[in-house]
Amino acid sequence: MRLLRTIVQTLFLAGVVAVLVRGMMGLTTSTCETYCPFAGLVALYPLLRFNTYTCAMNEFHVALFVSLVALTLVTKKSFCSWVCPLGTVQEWIGKASREVFGRYVRPPVAVDRILLNLKYVVLVLVLGLTWTVWQGDLGFRAYDPFYIIFTGFRGHETLSFSIFIGIGVLVAAFFVPMVFCRYLCPLSAVMDPMSRAGFLRLRRNPGRCTDCGICDEACPQGIPVATADEVTARDCTNCLECVEVCPEKGALELTLFGK
Amino acid sequence: MKKVIVIPAAILILILVAFATMGAYRVPTLVVEFVEKRPAVVESVEYTVDGLTCRGKSRGFAGMISGVEGVVSLTTYVRSNTAIVEYDPTLTDPVEIETAFEGPIVHEDEEYFLFKAKK
Ligand code: SF4
Ligand code: SF4
Repeated sequence: MRLLRTIVQTLFLAGVVAVLVRGMMGLTTSTCETYCPFAGLVALYPLLRFNTYTCAMNEFHVALFVSLVALTLVTKKSFCSWVCPLGTVQEWIGKASREVFGRYVRPPVAVDRILLNLKYVVLVLVLGLTWTVWQGDLGFRAYDPFYIIFTGFRGHETLSFSIFIGIGVLVAAFFVPMVFCRYLCPLSAVMDPMSRAGFLRLRRNPGRCTDCGICDEACPQGIPVATADEVTARDCTNCLECVEVCPEKGALELTLFGK
Repeated sequence: MKKVIVIPAAILILILVAFATMGAYRVPTLVVEFVEKRPAVVESVEYTVDGLTCRGKSRGFAGMISGVEGVVSLTTYVRSNTAIVEYDPTLTDPVEIETAFEGPIVHEDEEYFLFKAKK
């Protein structure tokens, strides 16, 4: 199970790195942005209002965004733990940190609760500024770790401080698991309502579960699995790390439409 | 736990759907009309242009052909690097227009080329 996910993640990460390397060699004009579903959301307003695209956005981005909405409705935020290269990198950094510290280092629950809402502010700012003041210009690129990191710190809108954001996010992911996904990612914010509805979700079988709490410890998103009957949390990415570590067979099961 | 397969399957299917549906409709990136009054006869030519990758570049492209007498309008589609130019055939022709946008940009004594028509 974990192997399957690691393979899928590695494929997508390798794909983005391949685009980067080919771009550096001058073999393609594509960048990591060519395949970004968030662009599809950003494109929607000028598309619906003026029937044009801004920047390099096009039909493919819109199609990707629609696909992402569908994916999230079916499988919660699986995009984050199966597809998104930035999620993959953060997850691996988080696991390295767990090796070093022996467990995930997490902020206190009260602080975490507040920080979780930051990404909605980011979303409103990014969309609001892009659609008004920046007039469709992607002014947030210089602050976007996905853009900064996967253009090899050389994207044409990377500013001198951008490198600190890129490296900062990677370093922060060592001390707070999935820090960008959980607190800052505007795409993660958009997915929240769909993710809550997500048809494919985990159910805990209280008859089999021994309340050992090992699953809570293993969840990169800090979701209290051991006390839930059903994992409806918006942040669950169906990474299934909790299932992987659960010692009781059948205590945690994936259900589709409740079955 | 066999249901886990739903996740990669859904990812694969939806990516394929995205690829399959993106061609279903086409919306231009930039539309520019260069003249107030359209001439009686208008012809159009379609170029695939290396370097025509975004709205800003489309504007630059419009600037470069705007000097050609007889150019009527420009419509760009950056996903396919396409530029469709309408022109008055009594005043200009596709070769002159191509020469205009393939010309060098001069900036601080440096010369560089932004666009090249793919043949
Ligand atoms: S609850 Fe389980 S599947 Fe969901 S994010 Fe946490 S570890 Fe992953
Ligand atoms: S790891 Fe398994 S047995 Fe332990 S609390 Fe979680 S679901 Fe229950």
